[in-house]
Amino acid sequence: MRTESLKAFCLILFLVQLVSAREPAPLFSGIALNTHQQISLSDYRGKIVLVDFWASWCPPCLASLPAYDQMRREIGTEEFEIIAINVDENTDDGLAFLNNHPVSYPVLADPKGKIGIPYGIRTLPRSFLLDRDGQVITSYKSFRAGDEKTLKQAIEGLLGNVNP
Amino acid sequence: MIARFIKSASLALLIFSLHIPAFAATCSCAGVPLLAFIDTSATEKGQLFISYYAEYHQINDLVSGSDDVNDETGRDRNTFSQVLSASYALTDHWAISALASYVKHNRTIGSSFLGKTTTSGISDSVILARYTPVFITPFSRHALSLGLGVRIPTGEDDFGDTFVLSEDMQPSTGAFGEILWASYSYAFNQAATVQLNTSVNYTFNEENDRQYAFGDEFNFASGISQSIGTKFSYSAALRYRTTRADSRFGFAIPNTGGQWLDFIPAVQYAVNDHLNFGLSGRIPVARKLNGALQFTTSYSVAFSVSYGF
Repeated sequence: MRTESLKAFCLILFLVQLVSAREPAPLFSGIALNTHQQISLSDYRGKIVLVDFWASWCPPCLASLPAYDQMRREIGTEEFEIIAINVDENTDDGLAFLNNHPVSYPVLADPKGKIGIPYGIRTLPRSFLLDRDGQVITSYKSFRAGDEKTLKQAIEGLLGNVNP
Repeated sequence: MIARFIKSASLALLIFSLHIPAFAATCSCAGVPLLAFIDTSATEKGQLFISYYAEYHQINDLVSGSDDVNDETGRDRNTFSQVLSASYALTDHWAISALASYVKHNRTIGSSFLGKTTTSGISDSVILARYTPVFITPFSRHALSLGLGVRIPTGEDDFGDTFVLSEDMQPSTGAFGEILWASYSYAFNQAATVQLNTSVNYTFNEENDRQYAFGDEFNFASGISQSIGTKFSYSAALRYRTTRADSRFGFAIPNTGGQWLDFIPAVQYAVNDHLNFGLSGRIPVARKLNGALQFTTSYSVAFSVSYGF
C-alpha cells in the first residue's frame, strides 16, 4: 500500500513536471509563400503541429524539407500539420528553393525574425513540436537523414496511432 | 689519469653550465597561453563542450629588442602543453568555462647531458564566467561576450634540486591571477560562414610565495574565419600581446616583458555535429622585447579535439 502510494506520488510529480515544463508556443500569422493562404498558428489548436525554421543557405534544412513533406503525407493532415518558416533575408532565395523542391505544407516568410526571435532561434535548422493545446512539447536542433523517422514516431505517439 | 680527466671535464662542464645562465636571457614567454585555449563555445542554455588541446611551443629565437641575434650556445628550449577545457551555458546569456593544464618544459644548454633540464606537472587552471548579451543568429550579425575569471595555481612551482629552477621552467606560476576577458564577432553574411572575430583579455598577475610575479599580460587578437560547407573551416588572425616585466620583491627583472605580434592560422574539421578536430599555429611577425637579450617564441603548433553535447 505504502509502495503504491509512493509510486502514485512519483507519477504525479513526474506528470506535474512534464506539464509544467511545457511552454505555450509564441503565436504568429501570415500569408504562406507557396499556398498563398492566410495562416495563423492559433487556427491549428486541436492538431499536433511541427513548426520548422529553415533557410536556403542551410544544407541540413534543405535535406529536412522533402523528408518532412514525405512524413506529413504518411501521417496525414487530419490531426497533424507542419508550418515551415523561411528566414532567408532575401525571401526570393527561399522561394527559388521551393519552386524547385515544392512542399505540400504552408511556408511563411520571416526575414526580420518577427517569428524567429520569440522562438529564440539561434541556429538552423530548428523545429518545435506542439501539442493540441499549442504547447511546445520538445524542440529539435539540426537534422540528419533518418531523423524524420524518430520524429514520426514521436508524432504518432502523440496521435495515439502507435501500434503495440 | 682517467679519473683526473673526468674530474676536470666535469668541473669545466659545471663552470660552463653555470656560465650560460649568467649571460643567457630569461625567457618571458614560457607560460602556457591558457586563455588562447579556454573553450568558449557554449552559448546556448544547456550546451556543454569539452575540448582537449596539445601544443608544442619552440622557444629558441634570441632577440635583442626587435633584432634577431645569432645564438651559438646550442641552447634548446620548448614546452609541451596539454589543456583540458570545458564550457557550459547555464542560461542563454550566462556561461562558465574552466580549464586545467599539464605542461612539460625542456631546456638544453650546450651539448652536454648536464645541461638538460626537464620539468613537468600540473600547471595552472582557469575559471571564467561569461555574459553574452548579444549573439549571432539568423537575425543578428553581432556577438558580444564579456568575462571575468581567475587563474588558479593548481600545480607545483618549486621544482629544482639544489636551487629552485627559474620561474619559466616551473609547471605552475604559483600565483593567482585575475582575468578580464571580452570577445566580439561580426558575421558578414546571414549564414555566418564568414566572420570577423576579435578577442581581448587582460591578466593581473599576483606574486607567488617566493615574491615572484609574472608581468601583467594584455592580449588583443583579431582575424577572419570562413566555413566551407558544413565540414571545414579555417581562420587567420593577428595577435598582439604585451606583458610588463616580471618582478621579484616588487623590482622589475631585466630581460622580461615586451611586445609580440603573432600570426595565427588555424583549420578545423567537423566530423559531425558534435565532434571537431583542429590544427593551429603561431608564427612570430614582429616583437619588441625589454632588456638586452631574450629567448622567445620561434613557433608553436597546436592540435585540438572538441566534443559538444
